[in-house]
Amino acid sequence: MLPLLMAVYASPEERALIARLQRRDPQALAELYDQYGKMAYSLVLRVVRDNAIAEDLVQETFLRVWNRVHSIDAEKGSLGPWLLAIARNRAIDYLRSSAGRERKAVELDEADHASLYGEMEAGILISDQARRVKVAMEKLAPNYRTVMELAYFEGLSQTEMAVRMGQPLGTVKTWVRAALQSLRDELGVAVSS
Amino acid sequence: MSCEELREHYDLYSLGIAEEPERSEIRAHLDRGCEVCVPGVRRALETALLIGTGAPPAQPSSQLRRRILASVGVERRRLNWIAVWPMAAAIAVLSLLLLFVAQDRTRYVDEALRARPALGILFAPGTVEASFGRPQAQPPRGTVFVNPSQGVLLIASNLFPTPSGKIYEMWLIPKGAKPTPAGLFQSYRNGQALHVRPGAVDVASTAAVAVTVENLAGADQPTTTPLILAPLAGRTP
Repeated sequence: MLPLLMAVYASPEERALIARLQRRDPQALAELYDQYGKMAYSLVLRVVRDNAIAEDLVQETFLRVWNRVHSIDAEKGSLGPWLLAIARNRAIDYLRSSAGRERKAVELDEADHASLYGEMEAGILISDQARRVKVAMEKLAPNYRTVMELAYFEGLSQTEMAVRMGQPLGTVKTWVRAALQSLRDELGVAVSS
Repeated sequence: MSCEELREHYDLYSLGIAEEPERSEIRAHLDRGCEVCVPGVRRALETALLIGTGAPPAQPSSQLRRRILASVGVERRRLNWIAVWPMAAAIAVLSLLLLFVAQDRTRYVDEALRARPALGILFAPGTVEASFGRPQAQPPRGTVFVNPSQGVLLIASNLFPTPSGKIYEMWLIPKGAKPTPAGLFQSYRNGQALHVRPGAVDVASTAAVAVTVENLAGADQPTTTPLILAPLAGRTP
């Protein structure tokens, strides 16, 4: 994961970058791509598993950021988390629409709640916490890790996971709760507290 | 519901798997800027986001950066041969395909094999096609090819570049349901366009393929009247 994480550097100039994007400076978009393009592509490719589709969705992601960057507060801003959230939402939406499933599975409309991402810690994507989450995920029991990945990378509801895994819904809910608890325990913090 | 009751659902919400009524309750708390739920959900989102950084590292093609920048007007004035080559190749392939469609599906097979995945759609068993624009005076004209497993290929002429800040968006229109986005694209200066939406398509339940003009980021639903509407009803492989 480290090379991927190192592709992103939460530079102190990020606020200036946001301001330049808000002033419609196209070169700022080039810099944004250089910082986050590979990470966004890696995430989207993991979801859709098709190079061409992944590139289309990453293009849509950057255009969406370009078009909606005014919803980020430049003074508090951290573009990376927001951009990756958009990338994931686009990829999950694609998966769901191509499979004939209901679209908009992702709870948060990243435009309506951009501040949730914009106010995240600037260095979150390269923080020690990122490494700890990776380690914690690797330590999860296989079925726990599977439900977390099905939720995050495929956008499956717990009911859909139960069908996919051929398990009772109650079992899947138990696994999800246990997986989240394991993550909390491994991270040494109450994730939701 | 109280913030305390919602707290244990923040993680599920951030993963997109919260159920009702907690999902709506959390959304309502966020909408009103709840000082407990906003930071709580933000922390849960951070963790969810970090799960995403565990995706295996992958390298996009070098063309992707150029595509993104070109779509907002960057580097158009800096074209050199390295930059021009892919565009020229694409135009050549487009011309080939237009000729190919107009005349004979089999004649240009060898050359056109380079035009994957467009050619994959053209030749896959089960592809259906529908023309559009013929009755109009100055229409975008062309054909869509829809294959159940390969995807949708749109080939058009008289579809001139959009105004600044706009882009074409293709839609699949299911029978009795809302259109689903099928990708953004631009046409060439000469009005020719080729757009591929790879992936499975349920041809039987698709009523039409359409194209609208949208803002650069695209739209979740069409916001303008379709310039292109190719009905698929009744088309069978």
